[in-house]
Amino acid sequence: MKRHFRELSVTATLLLVLLGMAVFAPAFFQPQPLLSLVTREAPTLIVACGMALVIICRQIDISVGSQFSVCGIGAGLLAARGWPLPLVIGAAVGLGAVLGAINGWLVAGLRLPSIVVTLATMVTLRQGLNLGQQGAFVNLPDKVQWFGLNQSAGQWVLVLCSLAVLATLGLALRHWPAGRQVYAVGSNAEAARLAGIRPQWVTFLVFVLLGALTGLAAIMNVVQSPQVQPLAGAGLELKVIAAVVVGGVAIAGGRGNLWGAFAGLLLLACVSPALTHLHIEAYWEKAIQGAIILLAVVADGVRQRRSGP
Amino acid sequence: MSAPDAPAGWKRLFLRYEMLLFAALVAEWLLFHYFGTTTNRRGVVVGFGTMDRQFDILRHSCEIGLLALALTPIIITAGIDLSVGSLLGLCAILFGKLWFDGGLPIPVAAGLTLLIGALAGGLNAGLITGLRLPPLIVTLGTYSLFRGLAEAITHGAVTYTDFPTSFLFVGQERWLGLPVQAWLFALVAVAVWLLVHRTVFGRSFRAIGFSPEGARYAGLPVGRRVALAYVLAGLIAALAAIIYTARLGQAKADAGTGYELFAITAVVLGGTSIFGGKGSVTGTLLGVALIAVLKSGLATLPIVIRLNAAEEISGLLTGALLLAALTGSVLPKILSSLRSHRQAG
Amino acid sequence: MRALRGVDFDLAAGEVHALLGENGAGKSTLIKVVTGAHAPDAGEITVAGRTVHGLTPTLAQQLGIACIYQQPALFPDLTVAENIGLRLEHGGATRRIDWPARRARTADLLARVGATIDPEAEVNELSMPEQQLVEIACSVGAGARIVIMDEPTASLTQREQGRLFTVVRELRTAGVGVVYISHRLEEIFALADRVTVLRDGASVGTHPVAAMKEADLIKLMVGREVAQLYPPAEAPPGDVVLDLKAIGCTASGVRGVTLELRTGEIFGLAGLVGAGRTELARVLFGLTPADSGEIRLNGRRVVIPSPRQAIELGIAYVPEDRRRHGVILEMPIAQNMTMAVHRTIFPRGWLRDGAEEALALDFIRTLAVKCAGPDAPGGTLSGGNQQKVSLARWLATKPRVLILDEPTQGVDVGAKSEIHRIIRRLAKDGLAVLMISSDLPEVLGMSDRIGVMRGGALATVLPGGSDAHTVMAAALGQETNKGAA
Repeated sequence: MKRHFRELSVTATLLLVLLGMAVFAPAFFQPQPLLSLVTREAPTLIVACGMALVIICRQIDISVGSQFSVCGIGAGLLAARGWPLPLVIGAAVGLGAVLGAINGWLVAGLRLPSIVVTLATMVTLRQGLNLGQQGAFVNLPDKVQWFGLNQSAGQWVLVLCSLAVLATLGLALRHWPAGRQVYAVGSNAEAARLAGIRPQWVTFLVFVLLGALTGLAAIMNVVQSPQVQPLAGAGLELKVIAAVVVGGVAIAGGRGNLWGAFAGLLLLACVSPALTHLHIEAYWEKAIQGAIILLAVVADGVRQRRSGP
Repeated sequence: MSAPDAPAGWKRLFLRYEMLLFAALVAEWLLFHYFGTTTNRRGVVVGFGTMDRQFDILRHSCEIGLLALALTPIIITAGIDLSVGSLLGLCAILFGKLWFDGGLPIPVAAGLTLLIGALAGGLNAGLITGLRLPPLIVTLGTYSLFRGLAEAITHGAVTYTDFPTSFLFVGQERWLGLPVQAWLFALVAVAVWLLVHRTVFGRSFRAIGFSPEGARYAGLPVGRRVALAYVLAGLIAALAAIIYTARLGQAKADAGTGYELFAITAVVLGGTSIFGGKGSVTGTLLGVALIAVLKSGLATLPIVIRLNAAEEISGLLTGALLLAALTGSVLPKILSSLRSHRQAG
Repeated sequence: MRALRGVDFDLAAGEVHALLGENGAGKSTLIKVVTGAHAPDAGEITVAGRTVHGLTPTLAQQLGIACIYQQPALFPDLTVAENIGLRLEHGGATRRIDWPARRARTADLLARVGATIDPEAEVNELSMPEQQLVEIACSVGAGARIVIMDEPTASLTQREQGRLFTVVRELRTAGVGVVYISHRLEEIFALADRVTVLRDGASVGTHPVAAMKEADLIKLMVGREVAQLYPPAEAPPGDVVLDLKAIGCTASGVRGVTLELRTGEIFGLAGLVGAGRTELARVLFGLTPADSGEIRLNGRRVVIPSPRQAIELGIAYVPEDRRRHGVILEMPIAQNMTMAVHRTIFPRGWLRDGAEEALALDFIRTLAVKCAGPDAPGGTLSGGNQQKVSLARWLATKPRVLILDEPTQGVDVGAKSEIHRIIRRLAKDGLAVLMISSDLPEVLGMSDRIGVMRGGALATVLPGGSDAHTVMAAALGQETNKGAA
């Protein structure tokens, strides 16, 4: 109970918000808009899973938004050239993994601080993409949207797919030694080394995994519309980090789980529709997200101070 | 001692990192001057080699330069502030609102804006030193908060314009031969240089950056000194917001988006260690100049004009430059560890 | 300096072999050699009849050598079961973890070491002794044939101690060889089969415990002639400067320390590592402020909430860990020396290079600091000279009370006697010096009075010129007369 205080409190807040919506804005619960909302958040969830791993490992990656855009555009270009969809998916995931490996090498190999490294790769990728694409959209062949299915079937595929990733990673993180090693490295890298774990290698791999997941998320975003926008991932990093931190993953590493990240993401995802339904202007969304991040870290800080020496 | 390594001879002087940067800056400038200057059909010199272009570079580098100056003390204390760009946006909006909606005279509005900037910096400082939270995540939160507030206040659409010409003078005219904001920038640069290199505050920043515990054992007020750096950053970001508004003649919510990256790049490029302790304001200024000349110079190259992608290419090169500077900063450490490894093995 | 000189040490299966010695006698170096953390430059190691070359931590583990350090290397955010699982279950990164089995195994191991710890508790919720028990459970689980315990009882209560003894005896019965390091003689008599005493990095003999008396052991430990000459006290101490009445600090474990410090006096503070000496110094310097008792400075009652306050009151603290706390290695000597006197030397906040350099040159001359100049970074200096820089920083504050924490640790012999002369000169100039030292001859030779701390409290105050035997006995918690018998 005490261990999962944070996850439970976020879940409780989420339920409270949903309850409030049920009372004040029951229109929120109409099945079709709700499915659309969840579908829109599905790619974000996948990136959040990867980000949770990176943060548990005591690192951070703020270049995911740019990676997302690059993978999306890359996939779109390949699809437009007539590549079959499975190959396009594979290529996007592979491209993401390569981008993640670059970050991972700089952080784990050269031992540079991840915040500055990923800040640099964020802007390099973004500007490189702008240079190559000049802001142009990529038009996709017909059969790509919703994997060639009808819309609601496609939406269900995406939602189930993201939940499957969540469940798999969540279970692996909980029940596989490989997953526990991520916690070990984030909690005490020196003790991990003494226990026969290679911290730099684990760090590298979580970055690669995050990149691959970002590639997958990009594909899941691509199939939702007939065109790919180069700006699709702008600001994604903030949303994802906010969700993960709010969900109880400690920025100092070693703590938190994917369930918390999931609940945190849903909570933040509710902000925008809740604002609309409660007739508050949507421009407040970013400010509220920032305030939620600050609240979450302040709560952690206060709790640690009280329990600490 | 202005710098820890007082030159013992001309060799030390010329091998200093700042000299290297200066040489790179001169080379860059000459390169752009050579390739970026042309004569148009009417026989007028256009492109990089004109005085107007040089003033333009100065004008454009002021805001990012100010943010870089604000970040230098913070990074010397081994901290980071991602929120300065967002704070610039928020302050620009509030300045416009205070003047336009609040009906305050420009000087009063400017004064209040500076105060707001300092308070916002104080928020960062309080969370970082009071609750001992990591600067990274605190300023990531305020990065979102400040920008979000700017968007909320303007509903994402309102821009404040029609400022009086007496105010636009600050951003668009010249005084004593130089753009007005360049004088302001120079003033702040001198002040920050003095603070970092000539006062006990700068000395404490260094000590804290090298070893916060060591600084505490020496009786230095670690929390207060770190807080000062963040409050100062807020103040300078507010000043940058006012100059930004004066240069463009309008205040909007997306002012300064992404500036934090350019500022951090300039600081790291200028030789300030991201791990704290080492750093110089002179280096930061050279870093700013290097980036500003790059940005402006690229726009004058024929090939870039044909591609119409000056913004993108300069962004790309800045990011790559930051990566190169970071890698370069750890290279000696890696090489020496490899060497000792080989000797031990 | 050589930490170990030709030590012979053997351990039989099913034996508890105690290792005894003063602080710095070479025990920890010996452990590091045996666990593969340090490579010895001479000699050989034989484990179960096999001579091992190039011992590494991994190889040591495979050979069944486990070490329980005073500071456990655990994962604070994870549960006890998880900590043990991560250490003991190797191979197969993608096999499914059997949590119930892991819990059961943990519960079993914890029961075997007699601990009542919930396997599901997070390590950061455990007390230090509990964490130690987890470490012991780990090595038991790893099936170690050789278990090294570095002062395992240092932070245990009486009851926990009894339980630990049972564990050690069980290990012995199971055929495990235990190297047991402790300062507590009664433990050695209760537990060990043989004892080896180390002194100055050399073994002074291995004996069966049954044939030894406590007095013999103490004699072996301290039995060195005081070879060095210490500068003599020249004048009798003056007035009381610092007056402590029942000072305590719960957070750092200092309990009811009462003592008076006079001008011109060197008060030596002896005791074992962890006896609370550094903790007392930290209290006096405001790093961990006192929460009970009364501090009087020149008869005036004061509180010391922060180092800054302490400096203003004229208290200076030259810390033990020179490289982390004493000198900022990357900064020039001159800047290090003026770091605590910014207010007086730069009254308006502006740096004054001339004044700084003058002060630095002055101290470099009077303390005979060997350096390239005031601009040389602190890290380029030798240990002894770094210590002088650290000392200069605090002398610059013109203190009334100077606390020195292990002033000559890791300093070569020449610099050592130089520092001793400086300390004596300072006392002669009217400073009250509180000198913490684990170097027994140093304490005996330098001090006008000797306080001995044990378990966070001041156990006794002995006159200067007491013999090593008395001091060591007090530090170890023996009755003096009993030890002398």
